[in-house]
Amino acid sequence: MSSDFYNTFILPFAGIIIKLCRAYTNSQEDFEDYYQEVCLQIWRSKDNFREQSEWSTWVYRISLNVCLTLLKKKKNNRQHFVSDSLPTEETEDNYAFSDESLDLLYMAIRKLSEIDRAIIMLYLEEKSYQEIADIIGTNPNNIGVRVQRIKTRLKKILDGKIN
Amino acid sequence: MEKSIENIWKEGFLKSDALVAPKINDLYNKKSIHIIDKFKRMFRINLIAIVVFSFAFLIVSYFVGIPLTGAIFFVTLTVLVVINKSLLNGLERIDKGENSYQYLKEFDQWIKKQVAVNKRISKVLYPVIFMSLILGFWFKDAEGIALGERLLSEVLNRFPDMHLIYGIPLIGIVVLILVLGLLAFFGGRIYQWDLNIVYGRVFKKLEELMTDLESLNT
Repeated sequence: MSSDFYNTFILPFAGIIIKLCRAYTNSQEDFEDYYQEVCLQIWRSKDNFREQSEWSTWVYRISLNVCLTLLKKKKNNRQHFVSDSLPTEETEDNYAFSDESLDLLYMAIRKLSEIDRAIIMLYLEEKSYQEIADIIGTNPNNIGVRVQRIKTRLKKILDGKIN
Repeated sequence: MEKSIENIWKEGFLKSDALVAPKINDLYNKKSIHIIDKFKRMFRINLIAIVVFSFAFLIVSYFVGIPLTGAIFFVTLTVLVVINKSLLNGLERIDKGENSYQYLKEFDQWIKKQVAVNKRISKVLYPVIFMSLILGFWFKDAEGIALGERLLSEVLNRFPDMHLIYGIPLIGIVVLILVLGLLAFFGGRIYQWDLNIVYGRVFKKLEELMTDLESLNT
């Protein structure tokens, strides 16, 4: 991947890639692997971009698909190689930001299902319900209700933890 | 909870450390090592499976009455395992510290050598295995006499003017040589087919990774 491609087509969207990758990982090492894999997949898939959607939507979609695939792979590997007695808590946070509230919010997001994580991340990034539906591949009518349900769940998890 | 989720999100990312992108590095190295480790694991399991099978077959062949087949199988497969184990040792010597492309190149060369050696072996292996089956059943005890001799005497009763060479019908020798010849000729191809079934996916991934790296280098 050339640095030109990275600087022009990936770096402006690095923010959302970072945010998404953080929601699907719980250690710095995994986060860096996910981030790199997303960047490589964007570079590999660049020829398939048909301009039917925005480049940013394309980037979100690839980021999400890569994160979900890697998470699935990780779960499979864990099932094959790790004994049941070892801790498997997905939400355990092994790295932290300097902002405590953001840390807690991320921990709460990691407790959600894989798709709910994606929906709330895109919502927080101020994507419209239509855009979220386009990226996830679902009906926009259901997104609003789902977002409200996720927010209620997050509030419940965070209740009393954030002042 | 006083702050809204939206505010926590917005304010949290205003701080400088939250959006630092990691550097793109080492991913191909990790991928290359992962693919090759996977291949090594599969190769090792394959060798263990051959050893277990040859042992089990040796025991079964004794009880079925074809110990000669079992013994030839055992010796032949043991030789195959020994040769492949020494090839695997060569693979262990590839330096993981090399850059990804070099590492994959060396692995690719190792694969080519391994395939070439095993193709040559297969040209002998399949005929030997076939011959061991013929010999095993020929000398199998059938009510006091060897099954082959019993079969031969029945054939000679039906066709008394059959042409024999060293007491064996010429037609039988011709068919045997023909089958052995075909197995020797197609041995390499049978091996390649077998190899693709077991390791096809790993080879495909390896090819994709090398193509990627080559396009990155250009």
